[in-house]
Parts: sequence; structure tokens; C-alpha cells
Amino acid sequence: MLTRLSHTEPDLSGAAVSMKEASFPEPFVSGLEYASPARGGWNIVHQGMLIPEAHQIFVCAEGCLRGVVLTAAEMGAQRRFSMIAVRENNVLDGDMESLIADGTADILKKLPVVPKAVLIYTSCIHHFMGCDLPLVYKTLREKFPEIDFTDCYMNPIMRKSGMTPDQIMRKQLYSLLKPGKTDRDTVDIIGNSFPMAETSDLMRFLRNGKKTVRDITLCRTYEEYQGMAEAAFCISTLPASRAGGEELEKRLGIKHLYLPFCFGRSEIRKNMEVLSNELHIPYDGDRGGEELSERALAMAKEQIGNCAIAIDYTYSPRPLGLARLLLEHGFRVVTVYADAFAGEEKEDFDWLKENAPDLILHPTAETGMRVMPRSFPEKILALGQKAAYFTGSRFFVNSVEAAGLYGFDGIVRMAEDMTEAFLHEKDTKTLIQVKGWGCSSCI
Amino acid sequence: MIKLAFYGKGGIGKSTTVSNLAAVLALSGKKVMQIGCDPKADSTIELRHGEEMPTVLDLVRQKKDDFALKDMVREGYAGVICVEAGGPTPGLGCAGRGIITALEKLKEKGAYEVYQPDVVLYDVLGDVVCGGFSMPMRNGYADKVFILTSGENMAIHAAANIAMALANFEGRGYASLGGLILNKREVKNETEKVQELANDIHSAIIGMLDRSSEVQDAEEKEQTVMEAFPAGKMAGEYRELTERILKICKEENSCLHG
Repeated sequence: MLTRLSHTEPDLSGAAVSMKEASFPEPFVSGLEYASPARGGWNIVHQGMLIPEAHQIFVCAEGCLRGVVLTAAEMGAQRRFSMIAVRENNVLDGDMESLIADGTADILKKLPVVPKAVLIYTSCIHHFMGCDLPLVYKTLREKFPEIDFTDCYMNPIMRKSGMTPDQIMRKQLYSLLKPGKTDRDTVDIIGNSFPMAETSDLMRFLRNGKKTVRDITLCRTYEEYQGMAEAAFCISTLPASRAGGEELEKRLGIKHLYLPFCFGRSEIRKNMEVLSNELHIPYDGDRGGEELSERALAMAKEQIGNCAIAIDYTYSPRPLGLARLLLEHGFRVVTVYADAFAGEEKEDFDWLKENAPDLILHPTAETGMRVMPRSFPEKILALGQKAAYFTGSRFFVNSVEAAGLYGFDGIVRMAEDMTEAFLHEKDTKTLIQVKGWGCSSCI
Repeated sequence: MIKLAFYGKGGIGKSTTVSNLAAVLALSGKKVMQIGCDPKADSTIELRHGEEMPTVLDLVRQKKDDFALKDMVREGYAGVICVEAGGPTPGLGCAGRGIITALEKLKEKGAYEVYQPDVVLYDVLGDVVCGGFSMPMRNGYADKVFILTSGENMAIHAAANIAMALANFEGRGYASLGGLILNKREVKNETEKVQELANDIHSAIIGMLDRSSEVQDAEEKEQTVMEAFPAGKMAGEYRELTERILKICKEENSCLHG
């Protein structure tokens, strides 16, 4: 528990900006950061656990291992998780490479079951010292030819240069796929932490086209996971998953289609048309789906009425698109919590600047958010854990990354979730203190 | 592609020698890239006639990743592609990390694929004091390492350390030692002392460069010796050294007569 020592009023000026004054894509100054207890999305441990029958080994200084150990423990996945502690003598002696190789060998010797794959997470110190990781992996592959090894990273010092740890992790999840035969009727959905709903526009379309859909979140064995390499196409729907798809296309020749999760009618259709053209499956524009989504939004509006709504970026990768959709349908969106926006949000940003200039944007990581009151003067419906935490709301949709939603059907499900959340109180504190909502579902 | 790294004590004449080798190779029709791995960022200064150029680390510091490959290079004398890794703020930062970052950035931006040099020369700062300075020795970078030394004790000490670092990496698939280059300082028993070192490290002196005012005079003109005094004695020595290095690298057809 932190105790305030100073009586000076905290400076909250950097922790809010109205749409009319906001700049794109970074409306807030980046600097010292605050991490709220509402973590929202998954971290690199959760994501790595998606590879069935794989074992994770983190190599890092002990102090930094604390967070990942707790994640593994919360998931009940300690048996799939090991650590190698880096100490000062390893830096002085320059034996980082042998520490990883020998430490991994020792762990593998002690495991009751030999894993099919090992994910080795190296950290800042290895990057900083220029540790020869290719040499480490070469050594391990020669020593354990029956095990697949891949490189993963816990490297927060590089968080803002190049690819983010999230992007890298979602890319590396597929790095173990081995080239093989191609099945023109198999399609991978990649980079999601949750399975795509069978009712979603995407899944219905693929099922109607008699396609076999493979998704890492549905793989229960390593062989099933390797089956993803047979796909002729892979689809990513989240900005953080795009690099993984591009890499799969480059490495295995699996045609990548980035069909971003979105809320705009024309964009939903455009994505489906791209898919239709590539897969040669007819798409009729789905007027029926659009009508259902309109009806679902209208029904939600009837229930929710003029209640204030807050949205955070962990709920949806398109928080601005979502704010626009809801505002266009008469909902009262008052706040969006996001630190920066993806480039694909520009059109919605401009629309909101024009049509909702008083909408308030809050960051989630700016230091002022640490002392911002956790309350809202009236009942507020929060979409996402961070929005619930910052507004102190007990009425919230407990979901991250638009879990499983896609297309017009995604809007229908979201409208239903909003209504349910509006009508039924939740125990916010209990729910959000678990890192990575829904993490137990992946093991 | 031939990839060579040159190590040796600070001030031993690595940059001058490497720049002249680059010029010899470029004048014979090879596409040459010279990468200075020294915080002083003056490896290629004679090739670019003193013209200022941003270092890779300057660009990383100022623009993060928002810069292109062409921002990192300058074309110097005879078309040599010049790159300077640069270094940290003096007294602060980490020079070894700087070299790692610069070399990674060059790879990331596709320097070798875009320019497709026939020869890459890494001119590396002084002693191998930490892992960062061994980066050019690693798999994927230089294939051969040449160590410059004089008969001065400190130069010999540094050369021995560099050879030891290479020996430590045996079995890793790193660069191998190509030999010693004696850059004479007119020290008593100079050749014998360096030969003794060569014997100790199971290597050989593969070339000798005499002490000559031509080198200083060319430096005054901000040119390589190959440009300033192409008919001079030192130009001949640089040509001969280049021949020997290429032979060691199993380049059967000498670029000088190709």
C-alpha cells in the first residue's frame, strides 16, 4: 500500500484530453509509466502456453522473474514452466551462452516428461550484452534433436523500439511450424488468444466454404498444432498479430490475409470480400447480418438508455471505432481509455473529432492515472477491465481483445454482453485482479 | 562475399590500413563496404575526404527506427561504401553495446542484400574488452580476422588478447585468425618480437608496412595513400598486402589482375 508523503496536489493535467484537442496517434506524452492492477490482456507467459505440450524456460535475473512465475502459478501451469537465474558472475565471466545451454539441458534432464517443444525466453541482459543466441539454439538443437526449440523474449527495455513484445510473442507462437504438404482447404486463424466464435461472420463463412479451420487456441496436442503448417491461408484479425501472419507467408508460403476486427459496416464487408476473392467463396454482402446487428444495438439501447459508457483499449483493438459505432446508435459514450491508437483508427479518430469533440480520452499508463479518483459521479457501463477499474464501475463487460467476436455477429454478441453487464453487477475487484482474464482456458 | 575484420591496439593504424586496402580493392573493380566499429567514427574519414557523416548510433539516438539504409552510408573514394557505427556519449553509455546495435541495425536494414558488396571490411576498435567488440568475429559477420600490431609492447599485448579471444571462440563457428600485419614503428628488434608473438599464437606475419611520411602526408590531404600517392612506395605495400590477404581468403584470382 502506497502512502502519499507530499501534500502537494498531484498533477493530473497529462491524464486527460478532449477529442477536439487530441493528437493522433499518440494523444499523451510518453514517459514514466504507471501499470494499473487491471492488466487486461494476456502476457507472454499466457500466450506461450498456447503451444500444446511445450515447456517454457525463462532466463533472467531473479527479481524480474517474479511476475512471470506468478502468471504461471495463477494459471496452474507451473509444471510447464522453469527458470534459469542470471547472476552477476555470469556477466563478468561472459558465460551467458553456456548458462542457457547447460541450464536448459539440466532442466530437460529433470522433467518427468520430455516436452515436444521448448520456448526459451531470454531477457534484457542477453540483448544488452549481445549474447550469441543463434549459437545457443544451434547447440541445443544438436544436443536434443527430438525437441523443437524456439526463441522468445522478455525484453522490456526494447518495448518501444521495433516490434513490441506482444507482436514478437504472437509471431514466435508459429515459429515452430515446420514446412510440409499444403491443403488448399485448410485455413489458419492466427494470433488470437481466444477461439473465434462459431457464430462469427468469419467462421460461418469458412464453414460454409467447407474449409478446415485451425486455430492455436483449439489445438490440444503438438501434432494438431503442427497441422497448422498445412494451411494454404492464414488470417489475422488483430494489429498485434499481423507480423506473425507476414512471417508465416514469408517462411512457409502460407498466404496471409490481414482482416482486421472492426465495427464499420463497409470495412466489415470489405474484409469479407477480400476473403471471398482469395478463397473463391461467394459473399453476398450479408444484409441479414447487418440487420441483426442493428436490431441488437437498438435492443441494447432500449435497456441501457442514456447511461454513460467508458471503453478501454484492452476490450477492443478498435476503441475509437467502437465509440463511433455506439455514438452513431445513440449511446452516451463519455470516455475512452487508450495510450495510443493503431494507424487503422485514423478515420474514426477524425470522425470523433468532428462529431464528438467533448469525448474525453484518458491514458492508462500516464503517471497521473495512479492518483486519478477511481469513481464516476453516476452509473457507468464499462467495456473492458481497465475502464471498470478506472471508473470504479461494477457494471462491466469482462472481456479482452474482442475475444471471439467478428463481423456483424460480433456486434450482436457485443450488444448482448453490454446489456447483460448493464443489468447485472459484477465483483470487479475479484475479477480483475487475476492477470490475463480467462487464462485458465488455454491449458 | 569476403568479410574481413581488422583488430589491433588503438592508434596502431587500423583505419588508415583498412581504408587503403578498401581503396586498392575498389580501384580493382570490387564493390567494397567499410564499416568502422569505433566510437571515434573516423575509420572512413580519408575515404570521404573529411566529409561529415552521421553514425548509425547517432541515427538510432535521434530517430529511433525512423531512418533508411541510405541515411547510414556515404559513398567514398573509388565508390567505397562507408559506414560508421559510432559510439555512446563519452564517459557514459556502453561502446560494446553500441557496436552490437550498429551491426544489428545494418543487418535489419538489409545493408548486405541491398549493396551486395564483394568485400566487407570491419575496422574494429582496439582490444576485445567485452562481448560487443567480438561481434564482428561472429558467425554471419567476418570470416577472417587480421590483427595489426607493431613491435611496441602494448600493441603486442593487445594482439595477444585478441588472439586469445578468437581461441576462446574455437568450436563456435566464428571467424578464424588470418594472421598478423606488422605496421612498423621502428622499434628495436621489431620483426623478431612480432614473429615471436606469431609463433606463440600459432599464426604468421602475413604482411609488413613500413613507417613512411607518405601516410601522414596523405592524412594531411584527407585522402588515402592510394589516392594521394598512387605511385608511391606505400601504395605498393598496400597492394601487396591486399594480394596476400586475398590469397589467405582463398580468392584464387587476384582482383588486382582480374
